[in-house]
Amino acid sequence: MLQAVILVVAQTLVMLAVSPFIVGLIRKVKAWLQCRRGASVFQPYADLAKMFRKQPVVSTTTSWIFTATPYILFASTLAAGLLVPVFASRTPLNFAGNIIALVYLLALGTFFLILAGLDAGSAFGGMGSSREAIVASLTEPAMILSIFAIALTAGSTNLSTIVHKTALLEGIVTDPSPHLMALAALFIVTIAETGRVPVDNPATHLELTMIHEAMILEYSGRYLALVEWAAGLKLLVFFTLITNVFAPWGIATTLEPGALSLGLVAYLVKVSALAVVIGFIESMFAKLRLFRVTDLLGVAFILALLGLVFFYVLRG
Amino acid sequence: MSLLSPQIGSQMVDLGSALLLLTCFAIVAQRRLSACVDLFALQSVFLALTAALVAFLTGIYHIYAAAALTVVIKVVVIPRILKQVIERLNVTRELVMNVNVPAGLLICGALVMLAFFITQPIIPLGFLLTRDSLAIALAIVLIGFFTMIARKKAVTQVIGFLVMENGLFLAATAAAYGMPLIVELGVFFDVLVGALIIGIYTHRLQDAFDSVDTTKLTILKE
Repeated sequence: MLQAVILVVAQTLVMLAVSPFIVGLIRKVKAWLQCRRGASVFQPYADLAKMFRKQPVVSTTTSWIFTATPYILFASTLAAGLLVPVFASRTPLNFAGNIIALVYLLALGTFFLILAGLDAGSAFGGMGSSREAIVASLTEPAMILSIFAIALTAGSTNLSTIVHKTALLEGIVTDPSPHLMALAALFIVTIAETGRVPVDNPATHLELTMIHEAMILEYSGRYLALVEWAAGLKLLVFFTLITNVFAPWGIATTLEPGALSLGLVAYLVKVSALAVVIGFIESMFAKLRLFRVTDLLGVAFILALLGLVFFYVLRG
Repeated sequence: MSLLSPQIGSQMVDLGSALLLLTCFAIVAQRRLSACVDLFALQSVFLALTAALVAFLTGIYHIYAAAALTVVIKVVVIPRILKQVIERLNVTRELVMNVNVPAGLLICGALVMLAFFITQPIIPLGFLLTRDSLAIALAIVLIGFFTMIARKKAVTQVIGFLVMENGLFLAATAAAYGMPLIVELGVFFDVLVGALIIGIYTHRLQDAFDSVDTTKLTILKE
């Protein structure tokens, strides 16, 4: 029991501590590729600390939704993060929800953020919310299908079971084709859901292009800090999902201290590698026109569907 | 005979075929002509790798020759011809299609299911290690065919034709460990000449209509 509590606390702390670092690392990689020196990778921590100290300004036209949303968003994203195995393949909270709960915890945060974008009544907020709703409704089927393809290969929708079986390479279907298709689909979903470059640009406040930034334009002070931190957490949850579902090797399958620390190191290395990849992608591709985003997400949906179909066809 | 166990070998062949199918979908979703050509070249690389893998697993050496020919003709020569054609044209991307991209992707998804459904009764009868790839090969042929129908520009229609040919090659490899080398040679020669002729035809189309939109060919008068 005590061990489980310690593990939950440790996982919470790791998720909270690593997420700003990932955001900073992606910025640093982008800066290097643009031949700039760039801010330190620890800059997002300083930003968060600064914003928590500032006084928030809230418009008098907003309702309770505007002030409640940062807390709901932060809590639901953190809860989603606790369902994913991070450095130990068996998360103590795995009884609390499976992969479907994870998807809808993230969707809950997105839903409230969309409402908050509309709440302040500014034109940009509404525009951002409408765009976010388009992207979210198109990514959800692709995400669910790709996750189902993986769940089928492991015979369970419980993330801990999937990761545990894949890490030990036992009791799963090892055919690489469904995994490949699901990985490609989930990667596109990650880019779209976390507002990365071909879909959204996290570094812009240009009215024509922003999606996520438009929704949170009205936030300031500690509210903004929570929203930004939640965005970093969401990025980390998706990275964790990709690395630990598709390449869980190194993760601790037992609860010995040695295995756990090795799992933590492996996790940090894998997540950082993925952040570097995302940084490269953000530098190599131009942002898509909004109406072309449907093409990209259509590809993700079809890939996930093919992953499912391959599972049934290629088993023979 | 081979170093890999048959099950892993079979899965690797499946993976190669799956990568071929993946590039098919990328071609369907891609609007830029030169990127379509690059994707076709990438698909041919995957095809050559899959064929070489089959040759390695089965010890049938003439498949190596076919794989080498694939690299020379479909990865180097034909993409270069198509790139030259594109360079001469003043179009870089295809904006209007007969079927838009998301609908096209859904149709292609349905085509894949159709191909899997059709081949389902046949596949368990096979005894070759490549038998599962037959379903994917048929799907690639259908998607190539669909690309030829859905696109209006001559260049992308050629790519659809070449994708179909890649699918047929994979089907031959999957169903019978490849055709006899002499047939293979004839097919490669046909494809090369076909690509050359269509290249010249595209130039003529451009000269006559100031466009490579093949739908203009149905217009009788100016």
